[in-house]
Amino acid sequence: MKRTNKINRREFLAAAGAAVSVPYLVPSGVLAASGRTGANERLTMAHIGVGGMGGYHLRDMVARRNRGEVNIAAVCDADEKRLAGAVKTAGKGVEPYRDYRYILHRNDIDAVVIATPDHWHAVQMVHAAQCGKHVYVEKPACCTIEEGKAMVAAAKNNKVSVQVGSQGRSQPEAYMAHRYLVNGNIGHIDKVTCFHYNSPEDKNPVPDSDPPPELDWDLWLGPLRWRPYNQKYCHGVFRWIMESGGGQIRDRGAHVMSCAMWWMGADGTGPVTIEATGTSPTKGLWDSAVTMDVTYTFKNPDWVLTWNQHTGNAVPAEKRTGNEPGGKISRPDYGAVYHGSKGKFVHWGGDGGTWVEKKARQWQPPAGAKDVYKSPGHKEDWFNGIKTGAKTIMNIEAAVGVANLCVLGNLSYILGRKLEWDQAKQEIVGDRQAQRMMYRPQRHPYHL
Amino acid sequence: MSMSNSKKVSLAVAATGMMSGVADAARKKAVSKLMAGIRDDDAKVRTEAWQSAGQVGAPAVKPLARVMANKELEVARAAKRGLWKIVRHAGRPGVGNMKRMVSGRLIELLSDEQPVPVRREVLWMLSEIGDRNAVKPIAALLSDRELREDARMVLQRIPNKAALAALRAGLKAAPDDFKLNIAQSLRQRGVKVRGLDCVKLIPTKKTNVKPL
Repeated sequence: MKRTNKINRREFLAAAGAAVSVPYLVPSGVLAASGRTGANERLTMAHIGVGGMGGYHLRDMVARRNRGEVNIAAVCDADEKRLAGAVKTAGKGVEPYRDYRYILHRNDIDAVVIATPDHWHAVQMVHAAQCGKHVYVEKPACCTIEEGKAMVAAAKNNKVSVQVGSQGRSQPEAYMAHRYLVNGNIGHIDKVTCFHYNSPEDKNPVPDSDPPPELDWDLWLGPLRWRPYNQKYCHGVFRWIMESGGGQIRDRGAHVMSCAMWWMGADGTGPVTIEATGTSPTKGLWDSAVTMDVTYTFKNPDWVLTWNQHTGNAVPAEKRTGNEPGGKISRPDYGAVYHGSKGKFVHWGGDGGTWVEKKARQWQPPAGAKDVYKSPGHKEDWFNGIKTGAKTIMNIEAAVGVANLCVLGNLSYILGRKLEWDQAKQEIVGDRQAQRMMYRPQRHPYHL
Repeated sequence: MSMSNSKKVSLAVAATGMMSGVADAARKKAVSKLMAGIRDDDAKVRTEAWQSAGQVGAPAVKPLARVMANKELEVARAAKRGLWKIVRHAGRPGVGNMKRMVSGRLIELLSDEQPVPVRREVLWMLSEIGDRNAVKPIAALLSDRELREDARMVLQRIPNKAALAALRAGLKAAPDDFKLNIAQSLRQRGVKVRGLDCVKLIPTKKTNVKPL
């Protein structure tokens, strides 16, 4: 896979002049033919965003480094406390940064893991791609339709491998479900109903305040329009703010609906209509829907996908011994039901924990049965994409397709009306206000 | 007995006036009811009120904006959400006149009599439904240090030639520390801007955390 660097000379020189002196590792790309990282060479990684899932990714990568699989060159966060913690986790030889753009200018770094709040995903992924870095970016891929388009274009134009963190596709039981469904075991599937519990309400709202001294609030907000800091609008809880986290649908929807699109063979397709209803929080800063029902109607082939967000609506989880491929079901409160002409099929979870019904786990494919791709693991699949150029299991086109479902569901909820979607043009049809909302201008200089 | 034309006209005018008066009274009543709900102590009542604001429409825009600056955090928030509800209701397809009326009221709220947070919110409301008439008052805020970045982004989002022309003019008039921002908006709108290179990839923020 050829690596390119689309920064112009003036930008690069300015950046290089501004960059701090850092110890440079030998870039793995130097050792590989034609700019592609060699199959047996260690990739050199950097982590952008090291709290929450970012902390998990860093610990996971440290374990891989300790096994001799990768190098870790840098960690980055807008929160100095989190950054200091990441330095301790990563150990000697790892350079800390507040500003991710220093990392993008280091030629010894092959790839970045981005686990910042959602509103940063698109900008950082696009910038990383433009600097020739391969990218693992947390889900959901994007917050707006136009961000998604930019991400797809950046990956394509710069020939980098992108894996999006909807890791449900890479779970062992997800493979079993996929194989079971594509072989027609429940017949023709015309409906998939996702279930999930409510988004929370902020029961103890607080006024805006000064940010804590360790946090660079301007950088944390990044592309979003400026607003004062609030304790209820920061690490973790950004999830419940529509402009940033987008609620449960953009969090878990990006997992559960990812499985649906994969198993239904629907990557690259999209709905023709989206209709959402929901209930709002009665107080507090958080504004994502507490309960929510979204119906996505697909044509050619015809099927319906629904997102039903109501506490208590989960299908009771099956009992397990813990010896199953995915172990015991630790998150039984979300998942999906697949409605086929010959029966139903249920899965729980859909993220790092994906658990499927016994009948799918125990199904033995007869001779001539269709097989499906079996991921070696979500990061392994990405590493393979980097080294061979193969498309990743949650590639950016597929991930943007899933994120668009979440974005469009929220848009329909916000606007209180049904939307029509043109998948080929990637546009909302016949609604000028909604069309403007496909795009959100970004603050200078934190833009695509 | 036939009625003269002039009498018919005067009766029609009177009837129209009466109907208009009735409509005015109904509008005032709807606004009063909405505002009472927005100010209520009960969170559920406030929520029901702001969710119903879309139907009340343009007459409620200014009363809600006034309450957005209320010291009671949740009352102010309910007013803001009510105003957004009006904007989302007015922007639906096929209601051009309602959109113009709401947009017109919002434009009036851009004056410097309003607090900055209210004007910032109003700018973003206009980014969704503002038309040609909104461009000039928004462009005027490109010279307001507190609101110019929002005004720039809002003009970038309004998809008409007037907004683009306002950005071009804004670039010429902008102080040096704001030229790059407007240049970025122009690039997003497909304009080639010479002499003002994009700085999005240039790092600027250094950490105090030291490596081990």
